Amino acid sequence: MSKLPYHLAGPLHLCGKSRFIADEPELKGMLYAKFLFSPVAHARIKKLDVSEAENYPGVFKVITANDIPGENMIGHVIKDEPLFPTLEIMFAWQPLAMVLAENERCAELAVKRIKLEYEELPAIYDPEEADARQEWYVPERKIECGDIVTAFDNAPYILEGKTTNSGQEHFYMEGQRAIAIPFEDSRITIHCATQSTMEVQEVVSHVLGIPAHDIVVDVPRLGGAFGGKERAATIWASMAALGAFVCKRPVQVKLSRDEDMHATGKRHPFTSLWKVAYDEQGKLLAYDVQLLANGGAYTDLSVAILERAMFHSDNTYYVPNMLIRGRACRTNLPPNTAFRGFGAPQGIFVIESILDKIAQQLQLDPLALRILNAYQNGNITPYGQEIKECQMASILAKLATNAEYDKLKSEVAEFNHSHTQHKRGLGIVPVKFGISFTTALLNQGSALIWVYIDGSVSVSTGGVEMGQELSTKVAIVVSRVLGISTDKIRVESSNTQRVGNASPTAASTGSDINANAARIAAEKIKENLKEPAAKLLAQQFGHEAEPHEIVFAEGKVFILKNPESAISFNDLVRFAYSERIPLAAYGYYRTPDLWFDREIGQGHPFHYFVYGAALAEVEVDLLLGEHTVTKLFIVHENGASLHEQIDMGQIAGAAIQGYGWCTMEDLVWDTNGHYTSANPSTYKIPGIRDLPEVFKVEIMPSQSLEASVFGSKATGEPPLIYGLAVFFALQAAVQEVNPEAVLSFPATPEAIILAQEHRGN
Amino acid sequence: MKDKALSLPSESHNNRITFFMNGQQITEELPAGISTLDWLNQTKQMFGTKCSCNEGDCCSCTVVIAKAVDDKVIYEAITSCLYPAAKLHGKHLITIEAMGTPNALHPIQQALLDHHGTQCGYCTPGFVMSMFALFAMHNHPDKEAIFAALEGNLCRCTGYQSILDAALEISRNYCKEDLIPAWCSEVESKLLEKGVPAAMLLLHKDSNRLVSKYLMPETMKLLFDYLQTENSAVVIAGGTDLMVQMNIGRKEFPVLIDITCIEELKRIYLQSDGLHIGACVSYAKMFDSELVHNSCPHLHKLISQIASQQIRNFGTLGGNIANASPVGDTLPLLLALDATLRLQTELEMRQLPIRSFFKGYRQTALQKREIIKEIILPLSPENSYVRTLKSAKRKSVDISAVVSAINLQRSLGYTQNACLAFGGVAATPLVSRVFTGLVNNKPLSSLDAAQIAKAVAAEFKPLSDVRGSALYRNKLIENHVIIYLSELQKEVL
Repeated sequence: MSKLPYHLAGPLHLCGKSRFIADEPELKGMLYAKFLFSPVAHARIKKLDVSEAENYPGVFKVITANDIPGENMIGHVIKDEPLFPTLEIMFAWQPLAMVLAENERCAELAVKRIKLEYEELPAIYDPEEADARQEWYVPERKIECGDIVTAFDNAPYILEGKTTNSGQEHFYMEGQRAIAIPFEDSRITIHCATQSTMEVQEVVSHVLGIPAHDIVVDVPRLGGAFGGKERAATIWASMAALGAFVCKRPVQVKLSRDEDMHATGKRHPFTSLWKVAYDEQGKLLAYDVQLLANGGAYTDLSVAILERAMFHSDNTYYVPNMLIRGRACRTNLPPNTAFRGFGAPQGIFVIESILDKIAQQLQLDPLALRILNAYQNGNITPYGQEIKECQMASILAKLATNAEYDKLKSEVAEFNHSHTQHKRGLGIVPVKFGISFTTALLNQGSALIWVYIDGSVSVSTGGVEMGQELSTKVAIVVSRVLGISTDKIRVESSNTQRVGNASPTAASTGSDINANAARIAAEKIKENLKEPAAKLLAQQFGHEAEPHEIVFAEGKVFILKNPESAISFNDLVRFAYSERIPLAAYGYYRTPDLWFDREIGQGHPFHYFVYGAALAEVEVDLLLGEHTVTKLFIVHENGASLHEQIDMGQIAGAAIQGYGWCTMEDLVWDTNGHYTSANPSTYKIPGIRDLPEVFKVEIMPSQSLEASVFGSKATGEPPLIYGLAVFFALQAAVQEVNPEAVLSFPATPEAIILAQEHRGN
Repeated sequence: MKDKALSLPSESHNNRITFFMNGQQITEELPAGISTLDWLNQTKQMFGTKCSCNEGDCCSCTVVIAKAVDDKVIYEAITSCLYPAAKLHGKHLITIEAMGTPNALHPIQQALLDHHGTQCGYCTPGFVMSMFALFAMHNHPDKEAIFAALEGNLCRCTGYQSILDAALEISRNYCKEDLIPAWCSEVESKLLEKGVPAAMLLLHKDSNRLVSKYLMPETMKLLFDYLQTENSAVVIAGGTDLMVQMNIGRKEFPVLIDITCIEELKRIYLQSDGLHIGACVSYAKMFDSELVHNSCPHLHKLISQIASQQIRNFGTLGGNIANASPVGDTLPLLLALDATLRLQTELEMRQLPIRSFFKGYRQTALQKREIIKEIILPLSPENSYVRTLKSAKRKSVDISAVVSAINLQRSLGYTQNACLAFGGVAATPLVSRVFTGLVNNKPLSSLDAAQIAKAVAAEFKPLSDVRGSALYRNKLIENHVIIYLSELQKEVL
């Protein structure tokens, strides 16, 4: 196998020459959009008068719900979200009307001339309040196993509590944006920053009342997404499409950072009520948990996110009796949406909080307690899927070795004994993460490959490149099949004309689905090429061979037993063309063995699991509430990696993102439902100084039979959860001075200071 | 070749400025008040420089400015979103477009590629430019210097380890000479030819821009002439706050007078009454100044905790004071040190203790057509104890919830001239009266830190806002006092 390539778009990125939508020369006649955003969180619209704005110089048109030729109501499964509300405003900063003008300044001045009259309605922001009023998108979901009633009746120890986590702003560096360009007749091309070309196409089709084949969606790449452009991008793309359709001019929608942070949904805050039973050794006997997701104003993906949170409520632990209930609650916040982890971090956070609490109660070592309860092969999860390749024992052993756990523990104890203003703490978080969309139908993907007659290759998949280096992985897979260098392979934009019906690039499945589809397409082409190869080899060297004896490697094609007598891949391609052999292929992949019955809460929702664990050591300044992550160790299992450095980038980046979520990323909203930290001067994501002083990531290869393309496993989301180890380390440090301390989430300096005096749960 | 354009008289600079961009000298007509980023993206249709936040908090839009200071050329990274393009006058703007090509990467770009220091690529040009400024000025910077240069550049993908590894590799293997391209060195000599003439940028009245006139006087006289004729003029120094008001708040400033071309305002010098710092001295210049380092080391240290390198490179001390934010990072220290402001009008200069300067929320004692000319920091005696503490959500590049500074002298175990000042606890930065009363002229060993801390905390009624609750802020006041007093008492023991 040849040397692995670097990020294929890297040289372009590094020179500022890679294409990002709307960071490119202006189109002639382009109209620029600015929005009237709702000033209130919940209201009845009495009047929306845009006439004065429409007459403002430079304004071409003001778009409202009245201009929608098709349907205003959009949504993922439940169509409860209007593109522009006509009767009821549901959250602050909801877009109400769109001004299209010759430039942004004209548009923003015209927005001020729109007259809005409304009657404010009472608003709900707290999921518990929404839950009490049964403001659910769908009825309660349930997964159960064993018999929790009996288990609790006979339990030696029981703990109860409530755990909450806050939301998280995606903070993709490239904000939401789309450019729509009208084409002949009613056709339209949309360049937009979305993770889901199919959804944009489908929703635009609904909104405009035109068939999908009239709409081309093209995505060159995204400047980060993290789930924030899975569904949330659709609305802005639809707005641009609507504008272009109505005005017959190119339209650009590009949100400023502040608009983006105010108006778009985020990671779901959860409030979880739980009860757990365990024995004197710390063995978990029963777990009863109710997860309340704060879904915001519209359903969006909240039900699927809730479901994944439920699927991960067990994390890496075998609990014989479980009752997991979940309710996604409607509130008057922007519709919360997908964010790396998709509910799993929220579900795992609850049980990890509980394990730390049990360890404290029984004075057990937190790592030993986790080993004691870890899943083993043959165990069945509460949703009925058998655990087959559990790696937890070796992962936790490796983690303990890498971190020199026993030594570290005594060093921490010694430090805490000799310091008063500063305290150290350790936190451990193991992870088991189910890979596959839990909505089984999404687990399919396609690829289209063209080999051009000069031997260069064009690969299209439905996957979207957003920094995870999917393109590089797809190129590696195709290069391995065709035996050519990745330099000869171009991975194209994701475009609905080349690959339609593409599932979102999400749920960590981007490479499993799309690289597999590309593999299948490449294998078809390789099969097509074998016969002409045999013919050409016979012509040139007189060697006769069966097609199955032909080898493709290092840009050459030869017979296994005569590697010196090789023809070049390029010559073969040109020859095959003259022989009228098809040089293109379509590949289709669907993930096998997936099903889940929501009625009974049982099934096989995941193709496989990714396992790993993290251990963090922190040092806290009790008087200032500040901390340093002195050590962060991660052991991450991922099959046979396609490219270890790419996976390392995913793991390190996700862990720091998770660390930001539970510490400094403080999403504050006021009593009127406005995010008050909706700008980068008050909402702080980690910077380079927040790097752990010691940061050691070990990728543990495994011979997984369940793994995906060429034995590799997904990496996108699972490592985000490692960041939570810092939260538990901080809590442990604070508990040095207040054993009852319950650190609120996120663990800001304020939280750390206030937790020192806080008593009880 | 003699550079003619830079020595032209100011009249011909109406509406246009002359500078170098990526090695080429250009003269440009500029819309008044346009930021360098908007000018690059909108006017020049150059899109390598990325806009992510447009308020100086992410540094994606970092570009490098080379300029002559005294007899040498310095390279500085700046956030182009907050840097009025007018300020490019007489300087060298270096953007990502000139750094390397995909087939011939600059060594910094190559190192980032080799370490997988780019993922989605959106923040990447900003990192390249920040690193270029760092390595063009320093040979083999250590980890701390790398952190200082990159702490403002946000990346949401990599988690930074790969970027740090790339920077460390460059630091090990390269010197400045290897990294400054020939076309940059060629411009250096032209920049050193002194004298940037005044410039005046005007716009037609019917234009929809936020600023319709941007004036750049080179002398105090011209400044006061402009102030005399332009009634609605607002003075702009670095512009790191004012540009945010424009970019995000969409606030209109019909006339802006940029005072950063006036040499008199950019001096640092020592006199018997203390260290004089011109109002337009940037944080970076103060940080690098030996005079500041030797005679006011606590200011030097505090600066490293203010904003990002990009902002420190053009944010000014005078701006921080005139802006009068209750959380201005330098203000408690200036209060504690009992700094004096030199205020200048056309006809007279007056001196005002900074303790009398702040009148209310963002209100000051500055009068119409008066500017801050200098800040005078009295020199601290040998036996001084001066410290600052800044508390914020993130370790670096964050606005404080509470910032404080203490200044006192120790003599034979007694305290003298004790002063403690806070930012973030009221509408203006404030000096604690209680502290002085409880601590001054007392034996250090007799001070009850916990009790004094509680008394000081009781003096203030901070507000709850997005940066912290009142309860938390009160606790911080208390804890800052405890930290100072216990450190002092430890020294006595």
